[in-house]
Amino acid sequence: MTFSDAFIDTSGLPHRPMVAVRLDAMLKEFVPRRALTSSAKSVRAMIEELETNYPKVRFRLRDETGQLRRYVKVFVNGDEVDRRTWLSTPLAPSDTVDILHSIQGG
Amino acid sequence: MAKGKVAVWVGTRKGAYSLTSDAKRRKWAVKGPFHAGNDVFHVAADPRDPKFVYALANNGWFGPRVFRSSNSGAKWNEVAPPMMSLLKDRKKNEMGGSEAGPIVNLWHLTPGPEDEPGSWFLGVDPGMLFRSDDRAASWAPLDGLNKHPTRPKWNPGAGGMCLHSILLDPTRPKRMYIGISAAGVFRSDDGGESWTPKNHGVEVSFQPDKNPEVGQCVHKIALDPANPNTVYRQDHDGIHVSHDAADTWKRVGKVLDTDFGFVVTAPKEMPGEAFFAPLEGMSRLGPGGQLQVYKWSEKTRKFTPTVKGRPFPGDLGTHRDAMDSDWLNPSGIYLGTTTGQLLVSPDGAKSWNEVPYRFPGIHSVTVAPAA
Repeated sequence: MTFSDAFIDTSGLPHRPMVAVRLDAMLKEFVPRRALTSSAKSVRAMIEELETNYPKVRFRLRDETGQLRRYVKVFVNGDEVDRRTWLSTPLAPSDTVDILHSIQGG
Repeated sequence: MAKGKVAVWVGTRKGAYSLTSDAKRRKWAVKGPFHAGNDVFHVAADPRDPKFVYALANNGWFGPRVFRSSNSGAKWNEVAPPMMSLLKDRKKNEMGGSEAGPIVNLWHLTPGPEDEPGSWFLGVDPGMLFRSDDRAASWAPLDGLNKHPTRPKWNPGAGGMCLHSILLDPTRPKRMYIGISAAGVFRSDDGGESWTPKNHGVEVSFQPDKNPEVGQCVHKIALDPANPNTVYRQDHDGIHVSHDAADTWKRVGKVLDTDFGFVVTAPKEMPGEAFFAPLEGMSRLGPGGQLQVYKWSEKTRKFTPTVKGRPFPGDLGTHRDAMDSDWLNPSGIYLGTTTGQLLVSPDGAKSWNEVPYRFPGIHSVTVAPAA
């Protein structure tokens, strides 16, 4: 197991070395882990890194035009990323990113 | 494959099902749901090799996906979905995405020619056609249609701008037809390279120009098995027949109380006959609390109701891909409803039975030889 593959609780450290990425259970078919770390400096780079490391998730979070799918929500430190500017939302090493799916259908 | 054994593949709002029966088509073994929770718009077994089955799953969370089984549905693997070809010069919108994408839903699969194993055609929303030559492992856009000069005049119907019908003329390998709501019928005589609108004679009730070249809301088309120049068409604006390979159309359904509807099928062993299930136009339900299946005869030029009495009382509707017919004699005809009933006639519509299993709302019904 490499460092980046493991979820390590670094909240007790003065500086977390990487961005913490948490995935909801909806993505377990495509990414076997619920928690990851990332060195990406933007939400776009983080998702591209995720797609590179876990090719099955390609086109599942984003469509072929690069937009987030309708029911995918990205939060940085608890705040939802504005869908109009999400590509350029910066990430810092201490940030926590949550990728969630809203409830849909019946 | 077992001689005469029939497989019916059903795509529903909540997954896919298979039903198998012998040639009597009275008792059915049901399996599923496959891809539970997904909106499965279409499932198609390969008539050239029926153990290969393909499912088109559309999902609000994950987008459109193609699944393939090489063992009659026992196990499925996701294969490559088609992708809209993104032009480098296509404008980006304020959301950071392309103005022209993406593919919204996967709608319909049709196997390629008999002598081209592994070939498939796929219709999607927004009004695009793809071809695969490797059992759906990869897809190439057919830009003769996808970039057709009339495209700016196409509009989505209530179900989206869906390419829902793909037909190959069995007597002319390069001749194909497609149907798009609401663009109309197009024909290719060169294997899908170039396409010509074929809507002459089909009026459009919902536009100022009642006789445009394109913009018709065709719901489903079928070729006559004995004479593929005869084409049956269930349009938003009525039931039409063409006798010249879709060059011209004549509306024949006005004699019915309503000739709005979605489905049509022309059984292989019933040349000159086609089946329609008209619906009331506003509600999309069978008129008068009884879904009726009419047989159209080219010989008599008349419609005959085939559902006798009220065996299926209730307000039933159908989606456009929810009727199919088999190759046996007498013909089997299969009709799924939006509320999950599957009606089967094993005798060329002399009688109808309901399969005693209630499915989720049915999108599509496709019959194939059982592997």
